[in-house]
Amino acid sequence: MSETTSTAGPSAGPSAGPSAAPAGPGSAERAAAELDATIAGIEHRLAAWAADAGAALAAMSGKVTGTAVDKLIRPVVEELLQLPGGYAAGAGFIANAGLLGPERSYIAWWQGPDLEHVDALANFSPNSISRYVKAEWFRIPVETGQAHVTGPYVDFLCTDEYVLTFTHPVFTRPDGPVAGIVGIDVTVQRLERGAMPALRRIGGRATLANADGRAAVSAAPDIDAGDLISPDEQCAHYPVGRAFTVWSNAAGL
Amino acid sequence: MLLSPNGASRSLAAVFTPIKSRGLVDEVCGRIEQAVETGLLTSGQRLPNETELAAALGVSAVTAREALSQLRASGIIRTARGRSGGSFIADNVLPSRERALAQLQDLSRLQIRDLALHYQAIAAACAGVAARRSDAADIATLRSFIPSANDDSASWRLALSEFLLEVAAIARSARLARELIRLQADLGTLTLLPCADAGYRGCTAVILEDVAAAIEAHDPGAAETGVKDLISATTDWLLTEQAKRY
Repeated sequence: MSETTSTAGPSAGPSAGPSAAPAGPGSAERAAAELDATIAGIEHRLAAWAADAGAALAAMSGKVTGTAVDKLIRPVVEELLQLPGGYAAGAGFIANAGLLGPERSYIAWWQGPDLEHVDALANFSPNSISRYVKAEWFRIPVETGQAHVTGPYVDFLCTDEYVLTFTHPVFTRPDGPVAGIVGIDVTVQRLERGAMPALRRIGGRATLANADGRAAVSAAPDIDAGDLISPDEQCAHYPVGRAFTVWSNAAGL
Repeated sequence: MLLSPNGASRSLAAVFTPIKSRGLVDEVCGRIEQAVETGLLTSGQRLPNETELAAALGVSAVTAREALSQLRASGIIRTARGRSGGSFIADNVLPSRERALAQLQDLSRLQIRDLALHYQAIAAACAGVAARRSDAADIATLRSFIPSANDDSASWRLALSEFLLEVAAIARSARLARELIRLQADLGTLTLLPCADAGYRGCTAVILEDVAAAIEAHDPGAAETGVKDLISATTDWLLTEQAKRY
Protein backbone atom coordinates (compact mmCIF):
# COMPACT_ATOMS: atom_id res chain seq x y z
CA MET A 1 0.00 0.00 0.00
CA SER A 2 2.90 2.37 0.57
CA GLU A 3 3.50 2.54 -3.19
CA THR A 4 0.22 4.26 -3.91
CA THR A 5 1.25 7.34 -1.98
CA SER A 6 4.89 7.50 -2.99
CA THR A 7 4.38 7.19 -6.74
CA ALA A 8 1.94 10.06 -6.71
CA GLY A 9 4.52 12.20 -4.91
CA PRO A 10 5.19 15.91 -5.24
CA SER A 11 5.84 15.77 -9.00
CA ALA A 12 2.21 14.78 -9.59
CA GLY A 13 1.27 17.69 -7.37
CA PRO A 14 -0.17 20.90 -8.73
CA SER A 15 -1.40 19.37 -11.97
CA ALA A 16 -3.60 16.79 -10.20
CA GLY A 17 -7.29 17.62 -9.93
CA PRO A 18 -7.71 20.13 -12.79
CA SER A 19 -11.26 20.95 -11.70
CA ALA A 20 -9.95 22.05 -8.32
CA ALA A 21 -7.68 24.85 -9.52
CA PRO A 22 -7.82 28.03 -7.41
CA ALA A 23 -10.68 30.20 -8.63
CA GLY A 24 -8.85 33.52 -8.54
CA PRO A 25 -6.44 35.70 -6.59
CA GLY A 26 -7.07 35.56 -2.87
CA SER A 27 -9.49 32.67 -3.23
CA ALA A 28 -7.20 30.18 -1.49
CA GLU A 29 -6.69 32.64 1.37
CA ARG A 30 -10.44 33.07 1.78
CA ALA A 31 -10.99 29.31 1.76
CA ALA A 32 -8.25 28.83 4.37
CA ALA A 33 -9.77 31.60 6.51
CA GLU A 34 -13.11 29.74 6.32
CA LEU A 35 -11.49 26.54 7.63
CA ASP A 36 -9.73 28.51 10.36
CA ALA A 37 -13.04 30.09 11.39
CA THR A 38 -14.66 26.65 11.67
CA ILE A 39 -11.95 25.11 13.85
CA ALA A 40 -11.32 28.28 15.89
CA GLY A 41 -15.10 28.50 16.40
CA ILE A 42 -15.09 25.08 18.07
CA GLU A 43 -12.09 26.09 20.21
CA HIS A 44 -13.68 29.38 21.32
CA ARG A 45 -16.98 27.71 22.19
CA LEU A 46 -15.07 25.18 24.29
CA ALA A 47 -13.05 27.89 26.09
CA ALA A 48 -16.25 29.79 26.94
CA TRP A 49 -17.85 26.58 28.21
CA ALA A 50 -14.80 25.81 30.37
CA ALA A 51 -15.00 29.28 31.96
CA ASP A 52 -18.75 28.96 32.66
CA ALA A 53 -18.40 25.44 34.06
CA GLY A 54 -15.49 26.52 36.28
CA ALA A 55 -17.49 29.41 37.72
CA ALA A 56 -20.53 27.21 38.33
CA LEU A 57 -18.44 24.50 40.03
CA ALA A 58 -16.73 27.13 42.20
CA ALA A 59 -20.16 28.38 43.27
CA MET A 60 -20.96 24.89 44.60
CA SER A 61 -18.22 25.60 47.19
CA GLY A 62 -16.80 22.13 47.65
CA LYS A 63 -20.11 20.25 47.62
CA VAL A 64 -19.87 18.87 44.09
CA THR A 65 -22.02 15.79 43.37
CA GLY A 66 -22.51 13.71 40.24
CA THR A 67 -26.12 14.84 39.95
CA ALA A 68 -25.08 18.49 40.17
CA VAL A 69 -22.42 17.98 37.48
CA ASP A 70 -24.94 16.27 35.18
CA LYS A 71 -27.38 19.13 35.68
CA LEU A 72 -24.70 21.67 34.84
CA ILE A 73 -23.21 19.92 31.81
CA ARG A 74 -26.08 18.18 30.04
CA PRO A 75 -27.94 21.29 28.75
CA VAL A 76 -24.76 22.55 27.06
CA VAL A 77 -24.08 19.12 25.52
CA GLU A 78 -27.66 19.00 24.28
CA GLU A 79 -27.27 22.39 22.62
CA LEU A 80 -23.93 21.38 21.03
CA LEU A 81 -25.11 18.00 19.74
CA GLN A 82 -28.42 19.22 18.37
CA LEU A 83 -27.11 22.39 16.73
CA PRO A 84 -28.10 22.20 13.03
CA GLY A 85 -24.94 21.87 10.95
CA GLY A 86 -22.89 21.55 14.15
CA TYR A 87 -19.66 19.60 14.38
CA ALA A 88 -19.97 17.89 17.77
CA ALA A 89 -20.54 14.11 17.76
CA GLY A 90 -20.12 13.94 21.51
CA ALA A 91 -19.26 16.31 24.32
CA GLY A 92 -19.02 16.52 28.07
CA PHE A 93 -17.03 17.00 31.23
CA ILE A 94 -14.64 14.70 33.09
CA ALA A 95 -13.71 15.50 36.68
CA ASN A 96 -10.09 15.38 37.78
CA ALA A 97 -9.28 13.41 40.94
CA GLY A 98 -10.14 15.54 43.97
CA LEU A 99 -13.28 17.29 42.71
CA LEU A 100 -15.69 14.55 43.86
CA GLY A 101 -13.32 12.23 45.74
CA PRO A 102 -9.62 11.35 46.00
CA GLU A 103 -9.27 8.60 43.34
CA ARG A 104 -12.63 9.28 41.85
CA SER A 105 -13.34 10.87 38.53
CA TYR A 106 -16.78 11.60 37.21
CA ILE A 107 -17.78 11.48 33.59
CA ALA A 108 -20.71 13.53 32.30
CA TRP A 109 -20.40 12.89 28.59
CA TRP A 110 -23.06 12.28 25.96
CA GLN A 111 -22.91 11.43 22.28
CA GLY A 112 -25.16 11.41 19.22
CA PRO A 113 -28.41 13.26 18.53
CA ASP A 114 -30.18 11.06 21.11
CA LEU A 115 -27.67 12.01 23.81
CA GLU A 116 -26.43 8.53 24.61
CA HIS A 117 -24.75 8.58 28.05
CA VAL A 118 -21.12 7.53 27.59
CA ASP A 119 -19.03 5.33 29.92
CA ALA A 120 -21.54 5.92 32.71
CA LEU A 121 -20.73 2.58 34.34
CA ALA A 122 -17.32 4.04 35.28
CA ASN A 123 -19.11 6.49 37.60
CA PHE A 124 -19.87 3.56 39.92
CA SER A 125 -16.19 2.70 40.20
CA PRO A 126 -14.19 4.02 43.16
CA ASN A 127 -11.01 4.20 41.03
CA SER A 128 -12.51 5.55 37.80
CA ILE A 129 -9.77 8.16 37.42
CA SER A 130 -7.44 5.35 36.27
CA ARG A 131 -9.50 5.18 33.11
CA TYR A 132 -8.66 8.69 31.96
CA VAL A 133 -5.27 9.71 33.38
CA LYS A 134 -3.29 8.13 30.54
CA ALA A 135 -5.51 9.42 27.72
CA GLU A 136 -3.91 12.27 25.80
CA TRP A 137 -7.13 14.31 25.68
CA PHE A 138 -7.32 14.24 29.50
CA ARG A 139 -3.66 14.16 30.53
CA ILE A 140 -2.36 17.09 28.48
CA PRO A 141 -4.91 19.77 29.45
CA VAL A 142 -4.63 18.62 33.09
CA GLU A 143 -0.81 18.71 33.07
CA THR A 144 -0.32 21.89 31.08
CA GLY A 145 -3.44 23.83 32.01
CA GLN A 146 -3.81 24.53 28.28
CA ALA A 147 -6.37 23.59 25.65
CA HIS A 148 -5.43 20.62 23.47
CA VAL A 149 -6.55 18.79 20.34
CA THR A 150 -6.04 15.02 20.20
CA GLY A 151 -6.09 13.06 17.00
CA PRO A 152 -7.25 12.09 14.56
CA TYR A 153 -7.36 8.80 16.52
CA VAL A 154 -9.67 5.80 16.97
CA ASP A 155 -11.69 6.59 20.07
CA PHE A 156 -12.22 3.30 21.92
CA LEU A 157 -13.80 4.90 24.96
CA CYS A 158 -16.75 6.74 23.44
CA THR A 159 -17.61 6.86 19.78
CA ASP A 160 -15.57 3.90 18.44
CA GLU A 161 -15.01 6.22 15.50
CA TYR A 162 -12.07 8.04 13.96
CA VAL A 163 -12.24 11.42 15.69
CA LEU A 164 -10.59 14.62 16.85
CA THR A 165 -11.12 15.46 20.50
CA PHE A 166 -10.88 19.11 21.55
CA THR A 167 -10.36 19.47 25.30
CA HIS A 168 -9.97 22.44 27.64
CA PRO A 169 -9.06 22.51 31.34
CA VAL A 170 -11.66 23.73 33.84
CA PHE A 171 -10.50 25.81 36.83
CA THR A 172 -12.53 26.63 39.91
CA ARG A 173 -9.81 29.08 41.06
CA PRO A 174 -7.53 30.96 38.65
CA ASP A 175 -4.37 29.61 40.33
CA GLY A 176 -5.91 26.37 41.57
CA PRO A 177 -5.47 22.79 40.37
CA VAL A 178 -7.34 21.67 37.25
CA ALA A 179 -10.82 20.56 38.40
CA GLY A 180 -11.56 18.67 35.22
CA ILE A 181 -11.82 19.03 31.48
CA VAL A 182 -14.58 19.85 29.05
CA GLY A 183 -14.34 18.38 25.60
CA ILE A 184 -15.94 18.04 22.19
CA ASP A 185 -15.52 15.04 19.84
CA VAL A 186 -15.61 15.82 16.13
CA THR A 187 -15.65 12.83 13.78
CA VAL A 188 -13.23 12.98 10.87
CA GLN A 189 -16.18 12.10 8.68
CA ARG A 190 -18.06 15.24 9.78
CA LEU A 191 -14.93 17.36 9.37
CA GLU A 192 -14.41 15.95 5.87
CA ARG A 193 -17.90 17.03 4.78
CA GLY A 194 -17.29 20.52 6.12
CA ALA A 195 -13.72 20.98 4.93
CA MET A 196 -13.63 19.38 1.47
CA PRO A 197 -15.20 22.27 -0.50
CA ALA A 198 -12.72 24.79 0.97
CA LEU A 199 -9.75 22.42 0.49
CA ARG A 200 -10.69 21.92 -3.16
CA ARG A 201 -10.71 25.69 -3.63
CA ILE A 202 -7.18 25.86 -2.20
CA GLY A 203 -5.85 23.14 -4.48
CA GLY A 204 -6.20 19.60 -5.78
CA ARG A 205 -3.71 18.36 -3.20
CA ALA A 206 -4.56 20.74 -0.35
CA THR A 207 -4.51 18.91 2.97
CA LEU A 208 -5.54 19.71 6.52
CA ALA A 209 -2.83 18.24 8.76
CA ASN A 210 -2.34 18.04 12.51
CA ALA A 211 0.80 19.15 14.36
CA ASP A 212 2.41 15.71 13.77
CA GLY A 213 2.02 16.06 10.01
CA ARG A 214 -0.80 13.55 9.86
CA ALA A 215 -3.63 14.14 7.39
CA ALA A 216 -7.10 14.76 8.81
CA VAL A 217 -8.77 15.67 5.49
CA SER A 218 -7.19 15.90 2.06
CA ALA A 219 -8.41 16.97 -1.36
CA ALA A 220 -5.93 14.49 -2.89
CA PRO A 221 -7.56 11.10 -3.56
CA ASP A 222 -4.37 9.21 -2.66
CA ILE A 223 -3.99 10.82 0.80
CA ASP A 224 -6.24 9.25 3.42
CA ALA A 225 -7.09 10.51 6.88
CA GLY A 226 -4.39 9.09 9.15
CA ASP A 227 -1.60 9.10 6.56
CA LEU A 228 1.68 10.81 7.42
CA ILE A 229 2.33 13.49 4.84
CA SER A 230 4.77 16.28 4.04
CA PRO A 231 4.27 19.68 2.43
CA ASP A 232 5.70 20.37 -1.01
CA GLU A 233 8.66 22.76 -0.83
CA GLN A 234 6.94 25.71 -2.46
CA CYS A 235 3.49 25.18 -1.05
CA ALA A 236 1.58 27.68 1.06
CA HIS A 237 0.97 27.02 4.77
CA TYR A 238 -2.21 28.34 6.40
CA PRO A 239 -2.68 28.00 10.18
CA VAL A 240 -6.07 26.56 11.13
CA GLY A 241 -7.08 26.85 14.78
CA ARG A 242 -4.40 26.28 17.43
CA ALA A 243 -2.97 23.05 16.14
CA PHE A 244 -3.76 22.48 12.47
CA THR A 245 -2.25 23.63 9.20
CA VAL A 246 -3.51 23.53 5.65
CA TRP A 247 -0.76 22.72 3.15
CA SER A 248 -1.79 23.83 -0.31
CA ASN A 249 0.15 20.93 -1.83
CA ALA A 250 0.94 17.81 0.18
CA ALA A 251 2.41 14.40 -0.60
CA GLY A 252 2.25 11.08 1.21
CA LEU A 253 5.42 9.85 2.91
CA MET B 1 -31.23 -25.86 0.37
CA LEU B 2 -29.03 -25.55 -2.66
CA LEU B 3 -28.21 -22.07 -3.85
CA SER B 4 -26.83 -22.12 -7.36
CA PRO B 5 -24.92 -19.20 -8.85
CA ASN B 6 -28.07 -18.37 -10.80
CA GLY B 7 -30.36 -18.79 -7.81
CA ALA B 8 -31.10 -16.53 -4.90
CA SER B 9 -28.22 -14.61 -3.38
CA ARG B 10 -26.77 -16.29 -0.32
CA SER B 11 -26.73 -12.96 1.49
CA LEU B 12 -30.53 -12.87 1.23
CA ALA B 13 -30.83 -15.79 3.62
CA ALA B 14 -29.89 -13.47 6.49
CA VAL B 15 -32.95 -11.33 5.88
CA PHE B 16 -35.25 -14.11 7.05
CA THR B 17 -33.27 -15.07 10.14
CA PRO B 18 -35.27 -14.49 13.33
CA ILE B 19 -34.11 -11.45 15.28
CA LYS B 20 -32.95 -12.33 18.77
CA SER B 21 -34.07 -10.06 21.57
CA ARG B 22 -31.37 -11.29 23.98
CA GLY B 23 -28.88 -8.90 22.42
CA LEU B 24 -29.26 -5.97 24.77
CA VAL B 25 -29.23 -8.05 27.96
CA ASP B 26 -26.05 -9.83 26.85
CA GLU B 27 -24.54 -6.47 25.99
CA VAL B 28 -25.18 -5.10 29.49
CA CYS B 29 -23.77 -8.28 31.06
CA GLY B 30 -20.73 -8.06 28.80
CA ARG B 31 -20.04 -4.48 29.86
CA ILE B 32 -20.18 -5.35 33.53
CA GLU B 33 -18.02 -8.46 33.10
CA GLN B 34 -15.51 -6.36 31.19
CA ALA B 35 -15.53 -3.71 33.93
CA VAL B 36 -14.78 -6.44 36.47
CA GLU B 37 -12.06 -8.01 34.35
CA THR B 38 -10.24 -4.72 33.83
CA GLY B 39 -10.44 -3.91 37.55
CA LEU B 40 -12.87 -1.01 37.19
CA LEU B 41 -15.38 -2.83 39.40
CA THR B 42 -13.89 -4.93 42.19
CA SER B 43 -15.04 -7.82 44.40
CA GLY B 44 -17.42 -6.80 47.18
CA GLN B 45 -18.28 -3.53 45.52
CA ARG B 46 -21.91 -2.53 45.50
CA LEU B 47 -23.56 -2.19 42.11
CA PRO B 48 -26.16 0.48 41.39
CA ASN B 49 -29.78 -0.62 41.67
CA GLU B 50 -31.62 -1.54 38.49
CA THR B 51 -33.11 1.95 38.01
CA GLU B 52 -29.68 3.62 38.29
CA LEU B 53 -28.07 0.96 36.12
CA ALA B 54 -30.78 1.35 33.48
CA ALA B 55 -30.34 5.12 33.44
CA ALA B 56 -26.54 4.90 33.27
CA LEU B 57 -26.51 2.47 30.35
CA GLY B 58 -29.51 3.90 28.53
CA VAL B 59 -31.55 0.69 28.62
CA SER B 60 -35.01 -0.06 30.02
CA ALA B 61 -35.48 -1.16 33.65
CA VAL B 62 -36.67 -4.55 32.36
CA THR B 63 -33.41 -5.06 30.44
CA ALA B 64 -31.36 -4.00 33.48
CA ARG B 65 -33.29 -6.41 35.74
CA GLU B 66 -32.80 -9.29 33.31
CA ALA B 67 -29.10 -8.49 33.03
CA LEU B 68 -28.70 -8.46 36.81
CA SER B 69 -30.42 -11.83 37.11
CA GLN B 70 -28.25 -13.27 34.33
CA LEU B 71 -25.13 -11.97 36.11
CA ARG B 72 -26.39 -13.49 39.36
CA ALA B 73 -26.94 -16.84 37.64
CA SER B 74 -23.40 -16.84 36.24
CA GLY B 75 -21.95 -15.95 39.63
CA ILE B 76 -20.60 -12.53 38.70
CA ILE B 77 -22.76 -10.76 41.29
CA ARG B 78 -24.45 -11.78 44.53
CA THR B 79 -27.53 -10.18 45.98
CA ALA B 80 -28.16 -9.46 49.66
CA ARG B 81 -31.57 -8.59 51.06
CA GLY B 82 -32.44 -6.14 53.82
CA ARG B 83 -31.39 -2.66 54.81
CA SER B 84 -27.79 -2.98 53.67
CA GLY B 85 -28.89 -5.11 50.74
CA GLY B 86 -28.32 -4.73 47.02
CA SER B 87 -26.20 -6.32 44.31
CA PHE B 88 -22.49 -6.76 44.90
CA ILE B 89 -19.64 -7.94 42.71
CA ALA B 90 -18.99 -11.53 43.88
CA ASP B 91 -15.72 -12.70 45.40
CA ASN B 92 -13.32 -14.73 43.22
CA VAL B 93 -14.96 -13.30 40.15
CA LEU B 94 -11.84 -12.70 38.09
CA PRO B 95 -11.51 -14.94 35.03
CA SER B 96 -10.53 -18.28 36.47
CA ARG B 97 -8.63 -21.21 35.01
CA GLU B 98 -11.63 -23.43 35.74
CA ARG B 99 -13.97 -21.25 33.72
CA ALA B 100 -11.50 -20.99 30.86
CA LEU B 101 -11.06 -24.79 30.81
CA ALA B 102 -14.83 -25.27 30.75
CA GLN B 103 -15.01 -22.89 27.79
CA LEU B 104 -12.23 -24.81 26.02
CA GLN B 105 -14.14 -28.10 26.47
CA ASP B 106 -17.27 -26.51 25.00
CA LEU B 107 -15.59 -25.45 21.78
CA SER B 108 -14.82 -27.77 18.90
CA ARG B 109 -11.45 -27.79 17.13
CA LEU B 110 -13.23 -26.46 14.08
CA GLN B 111 -14.63 -23.48 16.00
CA ILE B 112 -11.24 -22.63 17.46
CA ARG B 113 -9.49 -22.86 14.08
CA ASP B 114 -12.14 -20.79 12.33
CA LEU B 115 -12.09 -18.12 15.02
CA ALA B 116 -8.29 -18.01 14.77
CA LEU B 117 -8.44 -17.58 10.98
CA HIS B 118 -10.84 -14.66 11.34
CA TYR B 119 -8.72 -13.16 14.12
CA GLN B 120 -5.58 -13.51 12.00
CA ALA B 121 -7.21 -11.88 8.96
CA ILE B 122 -8.30 -8.82 10.94
CA ALA B 123 -5.13 -8.52 13.04
CA ALA B 124 -2.89 -8.90 9.97
CA ALA B 125 -4.84 -6.20 8.12
CA CYS B 126 -4.35 -3.90 11.13
CA ALA B 127 -0.64 -4.70 11.35
CA GLY B 128 -0.04 -4.04 7.65
CA VAL B 129 -1.68 -0.60 7.75
CA ALA B 130 -0.09 0.18 11.13
CA ALA B 131 3.36 -0.43 9.62
CA ARG B 132 2.58 2.18 6.98
CA ARG B 133 1.17 4.78 9.37
CA SER B 134 3.22 4.49 12.57
CA ASP B 135 5.20 7.33 14.09
CA ALA B 136 7.64 7.39 17.02
CA ALA B 137 4.94 8.13 19.63
CA ASP B 138 2.88 5.16 18.37
CA ILE B 139 5.82 2.81 18.81
CA ALA B 140 6.50 4.03 22.36
CA THR B 141 2.85 3.39 23.29
CA LEU B 142 2.87 -0.01 21.57
CA ARG B 143 6.03 -1.11 23.42
CA SER B 144 4.48 -0.03 26.74
CA PHE B 145 1.98 -2.89 26.30
CA ILE B 146 4.66 -5.59 26.06
CA PRO B 147 4.38 -7.41 29.39
CA SER B 148 7.37 -8.48 31.44
CA ALA B 149 8.13 -12.16 32.03
CA ASN B 150 7.17 -12.11 35.72
CA ASP B 151 3.69 -10.58 35.26
CA ASP B 152 0.90 -12.98 36.29
CA SER B 153 -1.27 -14.75 33.72
CA ALA B 154 -4.25 -12.40 34.09
CA SER B 155 -2.17 -9.31 33.37
CA TRP B 156 -0.40 -11.12 30.51
CA ARG B 157 -3.74 -11.86 28.93
CA LEU B 158 -4.87 -8.24 29.24
CA ALA B 159 -1.55 -6.96 27.91
CA LEU B 160 -1.73 -9.22 24.83
CA SER B 161 -5.22 -8.05 23.94
CA GLU B 162 -4.29 -4.40 24.61
CA PHE B 163 -1.21 -4.80 22.40
CA LEU B 164 -3.33 -5.91 19.43
CA LEU B 165 -5.87 -3.14 20.08
CA GLU B 166 -3.00 -0.67 20.00
CA VAL B 167 -1.93 -2.09 16.61
CA ALA B 168 -5.48 -1.36 15.40
CA ALA B 169 -5.26 2.14 16.88
CA ILE B 170 -1.99 2.75 15.00
CA ALA B 171 -3.69 1.53 11.81
CA ARG B 172 -6.32 4.22 12.50
CA SER B 173 -9.20 2.17 11.16
CA ALA B 174 -12.35 2.36 13.29
CA ARG B 175 -13.96 -0.61 11.51
CA LEU B 176 -10.98 -2.92 11.97
CA ALA B 177 -10.66 -1.84 15.61
CA ARG B 178 -14.34 -2.61 16.31
CA GLU B 179 -14.00 -6.01 14.62
CA LEU B 180 -10.93 -6.80 16.71
CA ILE B 181 -12.81 -5.96 19.92
CA ARG B 182 -15.65 -8.29 18.88
CA LEU B 183 -13.22 -11.11 18.13
CA GLN B 184 -11.49 -10.71 21.47
CA ALA B 185 -14.89 -10.90 23.17
CA ASP B 186 -15.60 -14.13 21.25
CA LEU B 187 -12.32 -15.60 22.47
CA GLY B 188 -13.43 -14.78 26.01
CA THR B 189 -11.34 -16.06 28.89
CA LEU B 190 -9.76 -18.86 26.79
CA THR B 191 -6.58 -16.85 26.32
CA LEU B 192 -5.96 -17.00 30.08
CA LEU B 193 -4.85 -20.64 29.75
CA PRO B 194 -1.68 -20.29 27.65
CA CYS B 195 -0.68 -17.18 29.62
CA ALA B 196 -0.11 -19.41 32.67
CA ASP B 197 2.61 -21.26 30.72
CA ALA B 198 6.11 -19.77 31.00
CA GLY B 199 7.10 -21.33 27.65
CA TYR B 200 4.22 -19.59 25.88
CA ARG B 201 5.01 -16.29 27.61
CA GLY B 202 8.64 -16.50 26.52
CA CYS B 203 7.74 -17.30 22.92
CA THR B 204 5.10 -14.57 22.61
CA ALA B 205 7.35 -11.94 24.23
CA VAL B 206 9.80 -12.45 21.34
CA ILE B 207 6.97 -12.18 18.79
CA LEU B 208 5.66 -8.96 20.37
CA GLU B 209 9.13 -7.40 20.12
CA ASP B 210 9.33 -8.49 16.47
CA VAL B 211 5.91 -7.02 15.66
CA ALA B 212 6.81 -3.70 17.31
CA ALA B 213 10.12 -3.62 15.42
CA ALA B 214 8.40 -4.38 12.08
CA ILE B 215 5.78 -1.67 12.62
CA GLU B 216 8.55 0.75 13.59
CA ALA B 217 10.56 -0.17 10.47
CA HIS B 218 7.49 0.38 8.24
CA ASP B 219 7.67 -3.25 7.11
CA PRO B 220 4.04 -4.36 6.53
CA GLY B 221 4.98 -7.89 5.48
CA ALA B 222 6.92 -8.66 8.64
CA ALA B 223 4.27 -7.00 10.82
CA GLU B 224 1.54 -9.15 9.26
CA THR B 225 3.58 -12.34 9.66
CA GLY B 226 4.32 -11.42 13.28
CA VAL B 227 0.72 -10.97 14.40
CA LYS B 228 -0.31 -14.13 12.55
CA ASP B 229 2.43 -16.02 14.41
CA LEU B 230 1.19 -14.54 17.68
CA ILE B 231 -2.35 -15.80 17.09
CA SER B 232 -1.07 -19.18 15.85
CA ALA B 233 0.99 -19.56 19.02
CA THR B 234 -2.20 -19.06 21.04
CA THR B 235 -4.43 -21.39 19.05
CA ASP B 236 -1.76 -24.09 18.69
CA TRP B 237 -1.37 -24.05 22.47
CA LEU B 238 -5.15 -24.27 22.99
CA LEU B 239 -5.61 -27.09 20.48
CA THR B 240 -2.74 -29.08 22.01
CA GLU B 241 -4.24 -28.62 25.47
CA GLN B 242 -7.71 -29.57 24.28
CA ALA B 243 -6.45 -32.74 22.55
CA LYS B 244 -4.99 -33.92 25.88
CA ARG B 245 -8.46 -33.89 27.39
CA TYR B 246 -10.07 -36.34 25.00
